[in-house]
Amino acid sequence: MNDKPEGIVEILIQREAIGQRIAELGSEISAAYKDRLPLVVGVLKGCVPFISDLVKEIEIPLEIDFISLMSYADVRRPGGAVRITKDLDCVIEGRDVLLVEGIIDTGMTAGYLLRNLEARRPKSLRVCTFLDKEARRIVRIPIAFRGFKVPDRFVVGYGLDFRQLYRNLPYVGILSDEITGLNRR
Amino acid sequence: MAVITVFREPGTMGKEVAARLAGRLGFSLIDRARLVQLCGEVDLDELRLLKLEEAFSKGGALIDSEVEGYARLLQDLIAQLAEEQDLVVLERGSQGLFHNRPGTLHVRFVAPRKFRVAQLCGRKGLSEQKTLRFTKALEAERARYLRFLYRLDASDPTLYDLTLRMDRLSVEQALKIIVTAVEEMGITQVPRETIVENMAPRGQEKHGRFVNDAESEFARFLTFYNIPFEYEPRTFPLETDAQGRTLEAFTPDFYLPEQDLYIELTTLKQSLVTRKNRKVRKLRRLYPEINIRIFYQRDFYTLMAKYGLLSATVADER
Repeated sequence: MNDKPEGIVEILIQREAIGQRIAELGSEISAAYKDRLPLVVGVLKGCVPFISDLVKEIEIPLEIDFISLMSYADVRRPGGAVRITKDLDCVIEGRDVLLVEGIIDTGMTAGYLLRNLEARRPKSLRVCTFLDKEARRIVRIPIAFRGFKVPDRFVVGYGLDFRQLYRNLPYVGILSDEITGLNRR
Repeated sequence: MAVITVFREPGTMGKEVAARLAGRLGFSLIDRARLVQLCGEVDLDELRLLKLEEAFSKGGALIDSEVEGYARLLQDLIAQLAEEQDLVVLERGSQGLFHNRPGTLHVRFVAPRKFRVAQLCGRKGLSEQKTLRFTKALEAERARYLRFLYRLDASDPTLYDLTLRMDRLSVEQALKIIVTAVEEMGITQVPRETIVENMAPRGQEKHGRFVNDAESEFARFLTFYNIPFEYEPRTFPLETDAQGRTLEAFTPDFYLPEQDLYIELTTLKQSLVTRKNRKVRKLRRLYPEINIRIFYQRDFYTLMAKYGLLSATVADER
């Protein structure tokens, strides 16, 4: 997949850089949770390649679980509210929970999840995100582990999609405005 | 804030009445000269204003999308000014812009054509024939502007609260009548919330209490993620006169109490928000404790694009 597919105007983060940074994150997380048994919770679907590579770089025992939310695009009617479409299998009360996101953008999704998970009284709850698009933040999110800060561009790849496509790219690319429709605005 | 819209048949001395009215009431007069001064704040300039006027004067194909953009930008500018100051607005489709807005008085000046032509002949030193052509062209331009932007007929008497026959009134008499109407109608006493609730921009039923599709969509987005918000809960005075009257103010669109964050959502292109940026800078300087961010048109579109909704939304925002 070295050739850029149609619509990718620029590769923002190469796969080698991703691998290197994930190894560093693995070490940081291993140190932070030393002598504990963290529950690593992936937020579907954007986290999949990231969490898959990340857990292999974490050198301490851990458990994995996943959670998924309904997308705003699915329920775009007045009064429509987000809900969990796939909940955790584990009980997290008293556990050290690490929430793993593919990207934190406005912070809406992560903010909702943090509120929801906090209510289940974990011992600790921290956030790890592959990408952090800080420029567009609306909801403040305390990020404990961050892969990369990215500029305010439309990024896809390595789990991140546009209309469910591009998730399988091994790098992070910038999608053209022609594809997103932003060029017509 | 209170608004008086003025629609004149040429040659009715309406401008003179409007200027004296603004002075007497302490309102700002929004005439062409003032608009030229303000144009820079929305990245318009006098040249574009001239192009706009020429297009509406001649009509037809000259009114293209660029000209329409200028016209709507001017409407945004005037609407924004009305949030900050009491205004007397000369034409510019203002009787359409503020059609059902509380706190507004719509005045029309009329007179028989013969009287008006005689007035203008004296003032402009033109022949009767040229003056006649001039008045007809100007009438057509003003009517065209209103029809194009609001699909309203300028001659419809129900658009006006007060119609004054200037061949039967002196400037001073007209002035007294309008001042009395302002006092009797209490347009300076209308609370801001009432104006916001009843502003009735086009498509009000569709947007609910929000001014446009973008605000409506953004509110849905916040609701979806269960983020509490308040809509236009606070107006920040930016400038006051010696009597403590607000000369300039700013009301951000949304307040997110949990984030202690104000959000101003603008549907203008980023290159056209000079004025709004300036106000936000002023707000930050005067209220350093306030956390505010502007959500530009592109931010909003990017947000929608993220959910693959771009083609389905904000299509008829204007």
